[in-house]
This record gives sequence, C-alpha cells and structure tokens, in this order.
Amino acid sequence: MSNNEYVVQMKGIEKVYSNGVAANQGVDFFVKRGEIHALMGENGAGKSTLMKMLFGMEQPTSGEIIVNGEKVTLTSPTVAISKGIGMVHQHFMLVPSLTVAENMVLGMEPKKGMFIDYKKAVEITEEYAKRFNLHVDANAKVIDIPVGMKQKVEILKALVRGAKILILDEPTAVLTTQETTELFKELIHLKEQGFTIIFISHKLKEIKQITDRLTIMRNGKSMGVYETKDISEQEISRLMVGRDVILTVEKEKAEPSDVVLKVRDLEYTDSWNRKMLDKMSFSVRKGEILGVAGVEGNGQRELVDMLFNLNVPDAGTITVNGQNVIGTPQRKIREMGVSLIPEDRMTYGIASSGSIEENVISDRFDKKKFNKGPLFDMNAIHAESEQLIADYKVLCKNYKQQVGMLSGGNIQKVVVAREFSCNPKLIIADQPTRGIDVGATEFIRKKLVELSREGVAVLLVSADLNEVMELSDSLVVFYNGKIAAYFEDTSVLNDEMMGEYMLGLKKQSDEEIRRVCHE
Amino acid sequence: MLEQIGSMIFQTDFVFSIFRITAPILFAALAAVVAEKAGVTNIGLEGIMLFCALFGTLFAYWTQNWFIGVCSAVVVGVFFALLIGFFALQLNTDIILAGIAVNTMSSGGTIFLLYMFTGERGNTAALTSSKLLIPTVEIPILNKIPILGDILSGHAVLTYVAFIMVFLVWILLYKTAIGLKIRAVGENEHAAESVGVNVRFIKYIALAISGVFCGLGGAFMSMYYSQSFNTGIIAGRGFIALAAQAMGQGEPVGAMFSSLLFGFAQALRTKVSGIQGVSSNLISAMPYLVTIIGMVIYAASTMRKVKRRNADKEKNQ
Amino acid sequence: MSNSKRMLIFELIRGAAAIGVAMLVALIFIFICSDEPMEALRYMLVAPLFTNGSFSLNSLYIMLANSTPIIFTGLAVCVMFSANQFNLAGEGAVMLGGFVAALTGIYFSTGTYADVFIAVFVGSAVCAVLMIIPALIKVKLNASEMVSSLMINYIIMYVVLHYLNNVFADGSKGSVMTFPFAATARVPALVAGSSKLTWGFVVALICTVIIAFFMYRTRWGYSIRMIGINQNFAKYSGMKVASVIVLSQIIGGFLSGMAGAVEVLGRYDTFLWRDLPGFGWTGVTVAILAKNNPIFIPIAAFFISYLQRGFTLMATYCDVPSEMVDIIQAVIFLFFAAEKFLSGYRQKLVVAAAKEELAQKAAQTATEGGNK
Repeated sequence: MSNNEYVVQMKGIEKVYSNGVAANQGVDFFVKRGEIHALMGENGAGKSTLMKMLFGMEQPTSGEIIVNGEKVTLTSPTVAISKGIGMVHQHFMLVPSLTVAENMVLGMEPKKGMFIDYKKAVEITEEYAKRFNLHVDANAKVIDIPVGMKQKVEILKALVRGAKILILDEPTAVLTTQETTELFKELIHLKEQGFTIIFISHKLKEIKQITDRLTIMRNGKSMGVYETKDISEQEISRLMVGRDVILTVEKEKAEPSDVVLKVRDLEYTDSWNRKMLDKMSFSVRKGEILGVAGVEGNGQRELVDMLFNLNVPDAGTITVNGQNVIGTPQRKIREMGVSLIPEDRMTYGIASSGSIEENVISDRFDKKKFNKGPLFDMNAIHAESEQLIADYKVLCKNYKQQVGMLSGGNIQKVVVAREFSCNPKLIIADQPTRGIDVGATEFIRKKLVELSREGVAVLLVSADLNEVMELSDSLVVFYNGKIAAYFEDTSVLNDEMMGEYMLGLKKQSDEEIRRVCHE
Repeated sequence: MLEQIGSMIFQTDFVFSIFRITAPILFAALAAVVAEKAGVTNIGLEGIMLFCALFGTLFAYWTQNWFIGVCSAVVVGVFFALLIGFFALQLNTDIILAGIAVNTMSSGGTIFLLYMFTGERGNTAALTSSKLLIPTVEIPILNKIPILGDILSGHAVLTYVAFIMVFLVWILLYKTAIGLKIRAVGENEHAAESVGVNVRFIKYIALAISGVFCGLGGAFMSMYYSQSFNTGIIAGRGFIALAAQAMGQGEPVGAMFSSLLFGFAQALRTKVSGIQGVSSNLISAMPYLVTIIGMVIYAASTMRKVKRRNADKEKNQ
Repeated sequence: MSNSKRMLIFELIRGAAAIGVAMLVALIFIFICSDEPMEALRYMLVAPLFTNGSFSLNSLYIMLANSTPIIFTGLAVCVMFSANQFNLAGEGAVMLGGFVAALTGIYFSTGTYADVFIAVFVGSAVCAVLMIIPALIKVKLNASEMVSSLMINYIIMYVVLHYLNNVFADGSKGSVMTFPFAATARVPALVAGSSKLTWGFVVALICTVIIAFFMYRTRWGYSIRMIGINQNFAKYSGMKVASVIVLSQIIGGFLSGMAGAVEVLGRYDTFLWRDLPGFGWTGVTVAILAKNNPIFIPIAAFFISYLQRGFTLMATYCDVPSEMVDIIQAVIFLFFAAEKFLSGYRQKLVVAAAKEELAQKAAQTATEGGNK
C-alpha cells in the first residue's frame, strides 16, 4: 500500500487503561484520503478509545500512528490539531454564552491592536460557513441556536483550525431527521473538496447512505475493513453484534406470576428535544428476569432514572404493585420494595470516602433494628455489615475499610450487597457487571438468578449481549425509545436476530410487542 | 426627620461622598467579577486588601512618593492573589478555604509586619503626611459648573480610576482575547481546553487581575479614605464586594450599580448619624439585607425560568 | 500494616510537616525582628506552660478558658462543613448568641440558678433559628449559602449594635455596655483566680462528646456525613437531603450561639462587644486542623490557644508583636487544607497498600486452591 493513499494509518494499537481494562487489543485502522470512513461497533467496543488516541486525548500503550506518511506522537489535542486532525465530540465543546464567532476563534483570536477583531471573527466564520456550505449565524449566542447549528459550529471550528481529517463522534445521535439529511449533504460536500471524514456510528442506514468504507470493532478488536457497497446490513449487524465466547448460566425455568412493575405509555423528550421514550409500555412479573437489550442511548438510561424518580416523564404511568412511582421520594420507592443497581456506581452507588459499613447501611440506617433510642445500635450495624461482607464475598480487610479503596468488582459487590439484601420485590439492575472482574461478574449474575427464582421481579438492563441473553427469561429490545421486539423465551434467540432488532433493521408488530404488558 | 434626610440627599456634598465611599467597594467588586468570570471564587479579597492598604502606605513613606505606594500595593495584591491561586490550583486546597486563610492571616499579619518594618504599633498615623496621600483632582471647566462641578470634580485620582475601571474591565472581558479566554474557562473548562487554552494559566491571570484591583482598593482606603493604615480599615468591604458581584450578576456594570447602592447606604449612615431618632446602625445593615433579598429574588426567578421552560416543553408535544 | 493505620500515620506526618513549615516561617520572622531571638522562641514555645522553669497551672487554665469558645465554633463548623455547606455565619451567631443570652440574663432573671441555663439556651436557640435563613435559601433556591451567611454576619452586627446603643445601653457608664446581668445568670468559674476558666469549658467538652456521638453514632449525623460525601448517593439511598442540610445548619447555629453565650456570661458581667469577636473564623481553622472530626476539635482548639498564648507571652516579654500568630495560624491552615501537599508520598503509601492487598489475595487463592 502506498503511503499516499492512506491519510491515517494506526497499526497494532494496544491500549490498557490504568484500571487494567484493555480497550484496544492490536487494532489496525487505515483511512484513505478523501473518503468517508465509518467506524462501527457497540458501546464498549473500543472505538471511542481509538479515536481519542488519534486526537491526542489518550496515548496508546503500544502501536504506531502515521498521519500523512509521517509517524507522529500525539500528546495532546493541540498536537493533533497541528497535524490536521479535528474532532467533533458527541458532547459539544462550546461555550454557551459566547457567540458563534467567538467560539470559532477561541484560542486563535484575530486581533486589531489590543482588542479582538470581532468583525474579522465574524468574517472568518462567514467565509468558512460559505465555503463549506455550513450555514451558521455568526452573531448568535450558542445558547440560543438549535442543536444542528451547534454541530455545524463544531465542524467549522475544526476546519478553521486547519483540519483535513475530521472525526465525527456519533454526530447524528443528537439530530432530528431533517438535520441529519442536511448534515449528510454537507459531509459529502466536504468530501468533494478533499477532506477525509471518520464517522463513528452504529446506525446502519446512515452508514450505507454516506460512507465509502467501514471498519467494524468488537471487544477491542477490529473485525475487518469493508467496502460499504459490498457488505449487506445483515452482515454488518452480524459482525458488530455477537459474542466471542458464549456463556451459559444454569437456571431453572421461570414461573412468573403477578405483575410487579407496570410501565404504561411512558414518554420523555430530553433537553435536546430528542424523543427518548416513545409510548413505552411493559410489565415485569414476580419471579422473572426481563432483560432490556439494545444499543446504548435508545432510552434505557432515561427509563431507569424514571423508575427511581431520578427523572420525571412527560407522560405515562409507572406503578409497582399498584403504587405510583412518578414523583414519589426515593425513600418511599424503596419502602415499596424497589432496589436499584445504578449504572454509574461512583455517582449514585457509593459514597467513596465512606467505609464499607457506611455504604451498606445507607438504605436501612434508620430502621428500628439498627437504632436504640436516638443512638445507632453499633453491634447490630457491625453484625449486618459483617454478614453482608461474608454473604457477598467482598474482599476487604474489614467493614471499616474505605469503599473507594476497593477494586471495581468489590465496590460493585458492596452496592449489590445492599440492594439485594433489603428484601426487594423488584430489582432494577442497570449494567450490573460493567467493567468488573470475572469472579465478581459471575457472583452477581448467580445472585440475580437466585433471587428471581425466590420470587423477586428483575428488570435487567445491559449492553452486554452475553449477559442479557443468558440471564433473562424473556427479553425486550429497545430501539429509538420504543420496544422493537419482545421475546417471551430467550432460548430461541441467536445473535443475528438480536443484531437486526437492535440496529433497527427489523421490528415486530405492535400485537407481538403488546404481549409484554401481560394483560 | 424624613424631611431632614430628604434635604440632605439633595445636597452636593452628600452625592460627592457617595462616589468617594463607593470607589473602594467598586475596586473590590471588580476584583470579584474578574475572578468569578474565570470560575474562581476569591473570598480572600478582604484580607488581600488589608495587606495592600498596609504596603501602600509603607512604600509611600519609604519612597516619599504616593504613586510608588499605590503601585506597590498593586504588586502586593497580585502576590497574595497568586498565593491563593497556588494553593487552590497547585495544591488542591479548596479555594474558599485558601481565601479564608488569607483573611485570617491579614488581621494580625498586617499589625505584625507593620511593627517589623517600622516599629509602629497598630497604625501608620505617624508615618503619613498629606503629601503622601493620593491627591485629588480639580477637573478644569467641569469644576466651574454649579452642582455638577461640586459633585464630580475634586475627587481623588483613584475615585476616577475606579469608575473608569468599570469600563476597562468590560473592555477586557468582552473585547480582548484574554477576556474571551477568561469567560470561556469560567463557563466551560473542557471547551476551552479542547482548543488548546491553558486553563490553569488563565485562572492565574484572572486571580492576578483581581489582585490588582484589591491593590487599588486597599491603597485607596489607607492612602486617601482613612488617611492612614489601621487593621479595621477594610471593615468587610471585601465581603460586600462578593455580594455586589453576585447582585450585579457577575457583570462589571451591574457590580458598579450594586456598589453604588452600598456606597449610598454608607454615605447616608454617615450623614444621618447625628439626627435624632435615626439609627445609623440599622441603616448600615440595610445594604446587606438588600443583598440577601436581591439574591433571593434573582435565584427565585432563575428557578421559575427553568420551570417555565419545562412547562413549555410539555405544551409543545 | 493496615491501610487505615497507614493513612493515620500519613496524616500525622502531614500535620507535623505543616506545623514544621509554619514554625520555620515563625523562626524566620523572629530572627528578623528580635534582638534576642532565642529568648523570644523560648517564650513562644515553653512559656505557656512553664513560667520561670516551673509548671504554671494558671497559665494552663487561661489557655483552656481561651479554647472554650473556639471549641464550640469549631464543632459548629465541623457539623456544617461535614454536610458540605460553607455557612460562615458562625461569626455573627457568636455575637448574637452572646447578646441574647446577656439580655435574657438581665431582664428575665428568675433569681435562681436556672438563669444561666435559660440564658445560654435562649441565646443558642435564637442563633439556631437564624441559621434556617441561609439554609433555606440554599436548599429551596440553590443560592450560595456562603454569600448570604457573610451578609448575615454584618446584619447581625449592626442590629446588635443598634439595640445595644439605642435600647439597652446603661447610660451611667462611660462606654456603651448593657446593664450587668444577674449573678445567677453568670457561668460559674471552674477554678478560683483570674484565669476565667468557667464551667463553660466542661460544657464544651460535653458538647464535643455529644457531637462526636451525634455525627458517628446517630442516624442524623450519619446522614449529614453521607450527604457531605456524595449528595447523589444520599438521595438515591432515600435520605431526606434537604431537611438534613437544614438540620446541619441549625445545629451549627446553636453551637455558635452557645459559644457567644458561654463566653459573654462567663468572662464578663455586662455585654460590651462592639465588633464581631472573630471566634467564628477561628472555628474554621480549628475544624480544618481537626480534619472535621469532632473528637479532635478540643485538641485543635487547645493547640490554637497555646499558639496564641505563646505569642502573647513572647510579645509581653520580648520585642515581637503577638499578632504574628495569625500568620502562623494561616500557614498551618493552608497546608492542612492542601490536598496535594505531600500527595506524592501518599500515593506511594497507596501503591504499597495495593501491592500488599494483591499479595494477600494471591496467598488466599493459593490456600483455597490447596484446599480443593
């Protein structure tokens, strides 16, 4: 291959984070000059890590990066920018109260004497906007412009800094359909002018529509490079979604009985005006594990937040054993017998500078059992903590140890110990084993199955296909804030089918989906 | 009684005194505005100003030159502001605690340093003479105009500087590159960082600028307002400035108006303290009360805005 | 060595280093401005406890008396900062507490020994109620409790001065002060003599124990601490976050008010403060030195009084002004609060601990394997 053809060559990239997670394992990634190249993969496949390294935000553990035929060491975004690389982040890097023009020139301000030449800044903005067909209002404040325009500002920001290679991280995730169509026109226009675009996405239709080639990643490895026109959507889905090792969990057949959690017609539009939940309805029954599969960002997080009143829906109802959840204080929700393993365990799950003991009693410290008059019954509390540490095999010195000092797996065991031991009637487990070691993962999964067989209703939200397919008794697939499919029996499922529903290639009929309401 | 007060307010010397009293508060408020724009809360204004007040007089005495005194006060202000910055930005001290520490240091520290350098105890009355004070300026032509001339002419140089600074700070924040960076850093650090702005450096710059204003404010107090240094000289002006910043919604012009409100209240207090039946103490308390009420109204309206936005969203569906 | 022990040793080393730096600063200043630096140094370090080579009980009493108000304010700051609330109205609360207690002692005297309890309680309770203002402004409107509490300090000061000057002044005295309060409203002396050490000190120690129990042995104190560490976690766990935040500041106000009440009723016989007394700010220093742990508050408070007395004595007998103590106090404060001060060393300890843990884990798996 000639160096001239490839504008970016990343060879044998390995990245091991300091917490031991190997996010990239020998990835090769080659991008041709002037193409739109899709980088695809599920969340956690390692594509963001790869792009962060290309933009200098992270440094590879090993491997080499060649840009325009020159071997480079990208120590910071500033260096990457100087090599002609620009990145549009999923979360915009804009200052809301500044105007578009000010955001454009931040850090490279045109000056007239001592002052910023604001007129020049507007001129630059308008000149670039015109040249690249990206229409923005240079004088408007960023806080007042729509999301689509914000994105254009981000692209212009990269261009004005001399970027020839543009990395777009899930650019369409925040856009409406019209805005997406417009963006694609603009991207093609850029391509025609010789720019190279790396397009991160997992939306098949878009990829087919505008990319020339694509690289698929899975579990930190590259699954190969393909000409977009030569590969079918089904094939992409098969390569993207799938398990390298199939795990099996032994469990008895579920015997679900009464409905515990009842969600009806839930609707939510987020602050970016995206419809995250669209008439979502389902039920979870006593004694079953209902899995929620889906690519992240299809409404899972919003749903979980609402089930615990950490967010409020625009419309719809949520009840647990007939009692309303929306707007109910967390204390009351817990009294109803709901417990939650939060996705973000460091934000919600623990108080990291508190001790293990302080963390396991946070939901029950005011119960009679642990208090003698105004004082804590320390013996009862110590006994409880020791019991939980033993039951949940938390590896630690003693209950006084600071939770923040434990390993990720043990931190999660502390959370699980608390959430599983409070006699729950409904457990919401949001990514319960993300980023933790194999031993802890296995332990938590076993416990979850055990509890469900004892009659607890479990809602399992997981981006880990292995987990959600093997643990769940029945399963729903989320796509675009809606349920795309319901499978009463997970044993008939295979990876390929899952992929097709997860990526929106297929959708069940409303009647089929309606069965998950159990009415 | 009210009549008495009313007639007083319309006297030129009263209006004149408002400007005089406002100036040091305004300097401190501008210091708070610049620091807060960069996202750093400088609660050490009070202490920094006290150090500046001391060193202003000392250097003026040593060099027998008021101008060098003021410049030295500015340098000292920058030094202490950067000290807070060093502890907060380099050693991860909570910036509020670092500010409190400088305040703690200042009350006794100034007395000690004064003694160490001069042997004087508690104040510098023995060291200052009228030629070491900040001079006043008669503005030609303007001083001939009745009323207006009496109000606007004859102030200390720094009084004019204080009000000019409002404009200059506005220019700095909104018209210069460094101002743009300060605002960007204060509002979205990551955005600034992603385009290669050195966030920590910008915060140091903002703190240094706030130190400059503390220097001017401190010098004004000891080298003009009180005519000599003593430890009670700042008397909460640094804290009032924080309130003025909050009430002025972080903008230089807003801070100026809230500073003027404080200036007005204090001028009124000085004026009415002789009148029977009026409590100068209660009048002194007014500006602080007004600040809290202002904060509450502002916070409540922001809350309502958020709620309304949510309500609108629901309506649109 | 266990991890917590290691961290304790680290904290001790860190504290010693901070004090060391401060002492170095003190040393430099003393050598600059004293003709007899060694003598000055001796006064500063030794004289608070030993006069003319023999142990001075009276001097110890004086230091304990001086530490009394700052134990109270230190505890107050400790409770409020534990909930992550930078409420700085303690300063004003001290003045108000003292004033209200004095008035109660003057005008509502029953002539029995209940007076002192009533006066102290009323003084403290008024301050507790007052603190609801910044607390509510924070939890309901999310406006900075720091700015509002600073303003409250000045409002209190001027309102107290207004009443002192215009309503309650004893016209027969040369300077402005109230009428003397009833003898039964005075906090009785603990020891005879001029030390001013009163039963207030004992009350301060009792409060320390109560607050320590409250913070570490009750559901409310536990909630306060958890909210301070991670408010999201507290909310998710089902705690009543807003109420607990308000509670923490009510307690802070009560303790600050008590500081003023006990100080005024113990040290004087009329109320004569013309300015904020400064105990609130010193309380912040005390709480920082005690690492927000109530048990260490009396020690930190005593340390501060020792420093202050040392510098006072040095000033009395040598040519070094006592006010230098503020600089030294601030330096210690700054280094205590600096998270990254010696953090490199801490990192080494953490790594060592992690290695140890790994080794232990390996050993454990080995034995488990053996058992199989």
